[in-house]
Amino acid sequence: MSSTTAQSGLSRARRGVAPGGSGTGAGKRKSKLSAQTTRTFFWLLLPSVVLLVLIHGYPLIYAAVQATHDGNLLQTGNFVGGENFATVLTSPAFWKAAQFTLWFTIVGVFGSWLVGLGLALLLRTRIPGAGTFKVLLLLPWVVPIVVSSTAWNWLVATPDSLIPSLFRNLGMGTPLFLADPNLASITVMVFKVWVSFPFMMMMISAALASVDTTVYEAASMDGASRWQQFTQITLPLIARSTYISWILMTIFCVNDFPTIYLLTGGGPVNATTSLVVLAYRTVFQDFATGPGVAIAFLMTMTLVVISVILYRQIRKSSVE
Amino acid sequence: MSAVLHAHPESGPTLGIEAGKRRPVLSEAGQRGRWWRFAAILIITGIVLVPIMVTVLLAVTPGPNSTATGLTLENLSNVFSKTLAATWLKNSLVTTLSTVVVSVAVAAPAGYVLSRGRSKAVSGYSLLLFVMQSLPIITSVVPLFILFAGMGLVDNLLGLTIIYVGSTMTVATWMMAAYFDSIPISLEEASWIDGCSVFGSFTKVVLRNSLPGVLSTAIFAFLLAWNDYLVAIVFLRSNEIFTLPMGVQSFFQQNATDWTSVMALAVVMMLPPVIVFATLNKYFSVGGIGGSLAGR
Repeated sequence: MSSTTAQSGLSRARRGVAPGGSGTGAGKRKSKLSAQTTRTFFWLLLPSVVLLVLIHGYPLIYAAVQATHDGNLLQTGNFVGGENFATVLTSPAFWKAAQFTLWFTIVGVFGSWLVGLGLALLLRTRIPGAGTFKVLLLLPWVVPIVVSSTAWNWLVATPDSLIPSLFRNLGMGTPLFLADPNLASITVMVFKVWVSFPFMMMMISAALASVDTTVYEAASMDGASRWQQFTQITLPLIARSTYISWILMTIFCVNDFPTIYLLTGGGPVNATTSLVVLAYRTVFQDFATGPGVAIAFLMTMTLVVISVILYRQIRKSSVE
Repeated sequence: MSAVLHAHPESGPTLGIEAGKRRPVLSEAGQRGRWWRFAAILIITGIVLVPIMVTVLLAVTPGPNSTATGLTLENLSNVFSKTLAATWLKNSLVTTLSTVVVSVAVAAPAGYVLSRGRSKAVSGYSLLLFVMQSLPIITSVVPLFILFAGMGLVDNLLGLTIIYVGSTMTVATWMMAAYFDSIPISLEEASWIDGCSVFGSFTKVVLRNSLPGVLSTAIFAFLLAWNDYLVAIVFLRSNEIFTLPMGVQSFFQQNATDWTSVMALAVVMMLPPVIVFATLNKYFSVGGIGGSLAGR
């Protein structure tokens, strides 16, 4: 893989390029060049480092301070140690939100994966206008969440909305999609799948595009069924990309705020309150900064673990 | 570089065009299946796009107090004349475009170092960026709110832009680095022989050959800034500082929602990403985001 080639590094490339690169002269030249390279690299990286410290580093440290202090948005207050964490970890609201986040993530990841996989496989076969369909099917991902949640609201919110009316006309009662706790949870998850499947479809399509199709011809000559070809060839070939997209989607789902907040606001009766929504409301509506940040911090810890694992896996597989 | 980033689905191998020619009997069966699949995808796409079609349709439907019949652009002109829509649109454009420019300007040089540098510090930084991009933004939003309040950056578009740049630069840097990985070092070597400096070869050789990578990164930053709701809801207070997402949402605070106006504004908000996507779709690989992570 060429990323490994590029990893050989600029300094090494420069060493190789030094004209007549042998003997002590080349050695001197090399050290001079790499000093210049290091200096340039430093300046090229500096703006990025400053921003990272300002927008990510500082807030993270300050969040740790807030999570261990009482007080509000305006004042930090006194050091209370792990009290905020204890408050959070013993509150039923936290565990309810954690549970909802877990389900939301599981359905979000696998729902969008299954839909995305199905469509990617369908679009891979020869269909008139496949390119156009591919573009159209990406729209849910491209259209801003504020717009699509507005549209979904119009479709399901009240008993007279289009979809509840449709159910009523079919004699299936009038489901209150956003007023019934269970139905609201399901609606939010379906909405999330609707928003996310294009991402999965693109990831899988890209992985499938690099697969050599002669493998399939050989397999069908050997009498492998469609299903066998799918499980024995397709799935293993897209495994790496699938794994990466699962973990990315996990991160997207756990961190998701607008999809849930815009559709239900976390209700009814907190049925769709995820950890992010709970943290937001704790800080900005209940003005309990300490516990709110503590919730965010617990999420942060979990996600750091997940992303370090992902990073390791990516590293490992790009060395292969 | 990973195939994920560069293989565009459109350019992917298609199954058995030649094989079909060689086996005409199978080809006929294949033709039938082809139209079945066409029907299936047509229906699925139709269902999937219902919310978007509803938005557009309502936007051009005469409003409750309107005398117009048939389809009309009245809602659109009403929204611009009777609300702050023009201001919100301008705010969104200013914030988003600044975010795009600054993100690329910060991420491109950093990505170059990530791609070419091979020290412990560089790989440590790469891990750091990766971890930071996965953290919930709500964690940093609260401390930043306090910091920015002291600096007068709350309810301020500059404050919003700074946070957007901060949150796009992590992934943007990875995306640029992944793209630079695909540019052979031999191109730079030639320029060094001509006496070019490292910085010179970065701008004149690498950057000049990286338009697709830059575009793909810019589109990513554009979508993130244009669509953001969480940062906007925390940091924006006054009507005239709202960006479009807040503007659209503000319509819901009234007792009876005027759906036709909401949808007219929603269409205004959805047009830029759809236009960008329709014209630059070649560079818009979701794989660009996933692939930049996958490829490293």
